[in-house]
Amino acid sequence: MKKLIPVSALLLLMGGCAHLGVEPWQRDVLARPDMALDANPLDAAIDDHIYFSKEASSGGRGFGGGGCGCN
Amino acid sequence: MNGKDLASLLATATCALLGTSSPARAEGEKPWSLDTALLLYKESDSRVQDVSAAIGATRRFADDRVLGLNLTADTLTGASPSGAIALDRPQTFTSPSGKATYTTVGGRIPLDDTFKDTRFAGSASWTQPMGRLYTVSGGLSASYEYDYRHFGANASLSRDFDRRNRTVSLSAAWSKDDIDPVGGPPLPLSQMLDVGATGNKAGSKSKDVLDAVLSVAQVVGHDTVVRFNYAYSRSSGYLNDPYKILSVVDPVTGDTSTRTPAATGGPDGVYVFESRPDSRTKQSFYGEVKHDFDGRVLTASYRYMSDDWGIGSHTVDARFRWPLGGGYVEPHARWYTQTAADFYRVSLVRGQALPQYASADFRLGEFDAVTLGLKYGHPLASGNEWSVRLEGYQQTGSVPSGQLIGNQARRDVTPDLTAVFLQFGYRFGL
Repeated sequence: MKKLIPVSALLLLMGGCAHLGVEPWQRDVLARPDMALDANPLDAAIDDHIYFSKEASSGGRGFGGGGCGCN
Repeated sequence: MNGKDLASLLATATCALLGTSSPARAEGEKPWSLDTALLLYKESDSRVQDVSAAIGATRRFADDRVLGLNLTADTLTGASPSGAIALDRPQTFTSPSGKATYTTVGGRIPLDDTFKDTRFAGSASWTQPMGRLYTVSGGLSASYEYDYRHFGANASLSRDFDRRNRTVSLSAAWSKDDIDPVGGPPLPLSQMLDVGATGNKAGSKSKDVLDAVLSVAQVVGHDTVVRFNYAYSRSSGYLNDPYKILSVVDPVTGDTSTRTPAATGGPDGVYVFESRPDSRTKQSFYGEVKHDFDGRVLTASYRYMSDDWGIGSHTVDARFRWPLGGGYVEPHARWYTQTAADFYRVSLVRGQALPQYASADFRLGEFDAVTLGLKYGHPLASGNEWSVRLEGYQQTGSVPSGQLIGNQARRDVTPDLTAVFLQFGYRFGL
């Protein structure tokens, strides 16, 4: 049941998406590189590898990294 | 705004909506965009140190076709907790190679300082539009360590909806890893043997990992974009850490049972190698919001993860990019907490039947972790950018008091971790 809550929230949000969004001429702010969802992919990859090696969780944002992470 | 700036902004806007990285940067017409980093990572108490160099290159072709390449090289040295408990006396262990011993000081959690590793990792991806609303991409990844090899392939399909305000993506990745530890992989729950004895070692092992991610990116308003991911991951095969052990202890004192090593040298206590299940299924929900406050950008995310090993975790991450002078500062905070795996044990008790699975790896235990960091980035007139980032990470573990036996209660049983990492970055176009 606990796992269904985020899914339901996601579906509700998607259902409400008809009222969201902007017109093409309103994208000046969204077009800035610092507003890109993956604005710093290298920082993110480095962080993911560190946390993958030190914690039991990985991925979520994208795929988990490769490697042993044994130490 | 001139035409080139506009073209660059539009290209970046497309990427923002597609939820992909931003290949067309301020330098606009330059076909290659390179992102480089040098990372220095250091843990307290002479534990792991890593020097890492990474480069990400993006080549943009006509019609929004994009080639992505990444290369990373790491050099690791230092010491890592073996899983054995602390005792008041020094402890001697056989090193993973089986050819020597090492001795740790009394009163502290034993660290195995025999590892030294170099890792090379690379990946390549190709992304292109398919029709007006679809984007497809495919990629390969590989990494190499002398005791570990990884090979993976991935593919993804995205579709835009609602004037490109919403992008739904489905991605899948498969990987096959070969594990060939120093001295051979030990048999699960077998005892650590004397120097030169190899009766508890097996041949090389492998594991397969299958990942799938369903992602929805949504523009909420002219200054806000959100993303939700559901990720599923299934690993099967050899999932042990071949270097981790557990102490076998006296049921009353909680101290490690002693043994007499052979003349060639060997452990002076009873230790067994860990045993994990041969499959693991993880699921995670990830949500992220990015909001512009008149030039200042907040990025906040939350992830919930749970797996069939009994581990559940929450991760909250926030960074705030604030223009300063000709550049920007970006403070960062991250909070993480996880519950322990069902088979996490501080130690095993002598005389009791061995459980099927057991691990004393602190990364499978219960702990909280906090990261605080600060980044400064400085764009140059050429459109290139340099940056420096400093982050501090602290882990604080806890063990259910019911697991502690005798003297263990008055000793340190969780190897709390403090790490600092410093990263220099330079981004440029070619």
